[in-house]
Amino acid sequence: MGFKLTEEFKAKAEKICTQYPRRDAALIPLLLELQKETSYIAEEGMDYSRVKAVTTFYTMFNREPAGKYHLQVCRNISCHMAGAPGLLERLRKKLAIAEGETTKDGLFTLSCVECLGACGLAPVIQVNDKYFENLTAEKVDALLENLRHEL
Amino acid sequence: MPTLTIDGQTIEAAKGTTLLEAAQQLGIYIPRYCYHPNLSVSGNCRMCLVEVEKAPKLVTACSTEAAQGMAVLTASNKVKAARRDVLEFLLINHPLDCPICDQAGECGLQNYYMEYSLAKSRFNAADKVRRPKRRAVGPYLALDNERCILCTRCVRFCSEVTKTSELEVMERSDHSYIGLKEGTALDNGYSLNIADNCPVGAFTSRDFRFKQRVWFLKKTPTVCLGCATGCLIEAQHNENVIYRLTPRPNAETNTWLCDYGRMTYKAVRAGDRLTKGVIKNGQIDLKPALREAAARMDEARRSAAVLGSPWLSVEDNAALARFAKDALRTENYCFDFNCGQGIKDGILINNDPAPNTSGVKPVKAACGGITLTELSRRIAAGRIKAVLMEARAAALIKDALKAAGPRLIVFAANTGEIPAGAYAALPYASYFETPGTFVNYQGLLRRTKPPVEAPEGVKPLWAVVNELASCSGTSLGLDSVEETLKGIYIK
Repeated sequence: MGFKLTEEFKAKAEKICTQYPRRDAALIPLLLELQKETSYIAEEGMDYSRVKAVTTFYTMFNREPAGKYHLQVCRNISCHMAGAPGLLERLRKKLAIAEGETTKDGLFTLSCVECLGACGLAPVIQVNDKYFENLTAEKVDALLENLRHEL
Repeated sequence: MPTLTIDGQTIEAAKGTTLLEAAQQLGIYIPRYCYHPNLSVSGNCRMCLVEVEKAPKLVTACSTEAAQGMAVLTASNKVKAARRDVLEFLLINHPLDCPICDQAGECGLQNYYMEYSLAKSRFNAADKVRRPKRRAVGPYLALDNERCILCTRCVRFCSEVTKTSELEVMERSDHSYIGLKEGTALDNGYSLNIADNCPVGAFTSRDFRFKQRVWFLKKTPTVCLGCATGCLIEAQHNENVIYRLTPRPNAETNTWLCDYGRMTYKAVRAGDRLTKGVIKNGQIDLKPALREAAARMDEARRSAAVLGSPWLSVEDNAALARFAKDALRTENYCFDFNCGQGIKDGILINNDPAPNTSGVKPVKAACGGITLTELSRRIAAGRIKAVLMEARAAALIKDALKAAGPRLIVFAANTGEIPAGAYAALPYASYFETPGTFVNYQGLLRRTKPPVEAPEGVKPLWAVVNELASCSGTSLGLDSVEETLKGIYIK
């Protein structure tokens, strides 16, 4: 399957490029924009080595299609001490997937991330762009249910 | 101009000089991997750490500018310990496959380990990060990611020199590796410089791999004749065989060397190398071939022509001029070559594919002759019955030759060069086998120094010309290469 950019995206990209003194400086904003649309950065779309280098350097770029909800569990010290490993284990079991995997229905992708900068509200899970804080096992269950029903 | 001391020696360094460069000016060598004098400074390998008095930490000599009053120590205990530690880190994931590595003998890791470390690894060999082993990346290079220390010289070479940016560092931290876009080849015309720049055995030359251990190679400084740029090169050879050509960086002409130039040595031992005479497609010994060629030239006499060649040295062109004037006594000779010279690609490759267009000019000045257009006109008009020339020069008058079809007697080093329909071909020693004078596009004098000997019975072109003349009863008196240059003034 060939990778193709939509005309709409190209027009948006052109606009983003004008905000930077050098066109190549717009690479990261463009990749973020693309990820918003397609949920991941496709390798076949990387015409330049530079794009692959940047995409693979930053863990926040998905290299494979992600589910509708990307659950990102913080695994750094504050969240760890506040019970993140238990939450992660619970999510693994409930969704029957390991980290980096996506559920068969394409709804959830589970991954571990480094500090989300919300240690005061640990443990934290980021779902797409939203933070869910002070989580417990019950809250995680409720979160999953809510997300499922927002279908 | 800041004044500083390095290991107790005082130096006044120009503004902007780095500590590494200042030390080099004092003759103090600071080990380095990522630093390269002709690439941007990256400062990632940490091998060049030095101590600066009053600085809280060691600093990288390659990226620290010399400042007034600095006191730099490059051999203190702290620095020595740092070098040992940096090497230990670099060697943690290095596969240590030196016995099968082509870089062995000229490897930055081997050399610095012997010089600065000699420590035993504390790392369990089974825990090393494994990476893909050798694979071909492009026509000239093999890449072994496991040996790489990520100095990024190759990445910077591709982005700064060739500006093609094929290589990048993919992933990060201990996952990182040098890679290129899937399915593409690294073929930018200068790719073998990457093998030279690579301080370890990650990038090696596919052409040179496993041909010869580097410590057996002898080095002869000579000149590349791949085009009019005339890069200074070093021929590396052993037991009369050339194995590779590398650049001799110099301020005037070249820092690098193109892939095409590097492969020019192959003609010397190519399968089509001419070591005997050729008459009508059949190879015969040189002597009878010379007699036959001389007889045909004699037959044509005043309607014979001689064409010089921008591919030949000044000496060989001069010998051809002497042959036309003193043996044939013809007026039909031409040493008039012009080509819009200049660097074609902004790096090294010249518009003019011939190495000696400028060098034939002094021969023309001393011996005269007709213009190339005039010669073409005379040939096309059927006034010329036989032409003596160097094989590649035939392309310069090919339309006239096609129109009239005079008898062609050519000098050729390889049979591939012989133009179709040539009557006779005579072998001559290539400039890897005999000295020759050339003038590059900048007007700089370039003398080749032969690294190897010519195959048995193959002589320099000027000597073949001398014999050709004596076959038709004229002595040109060309007994030595110096003799050919008599009366020719090269500035």
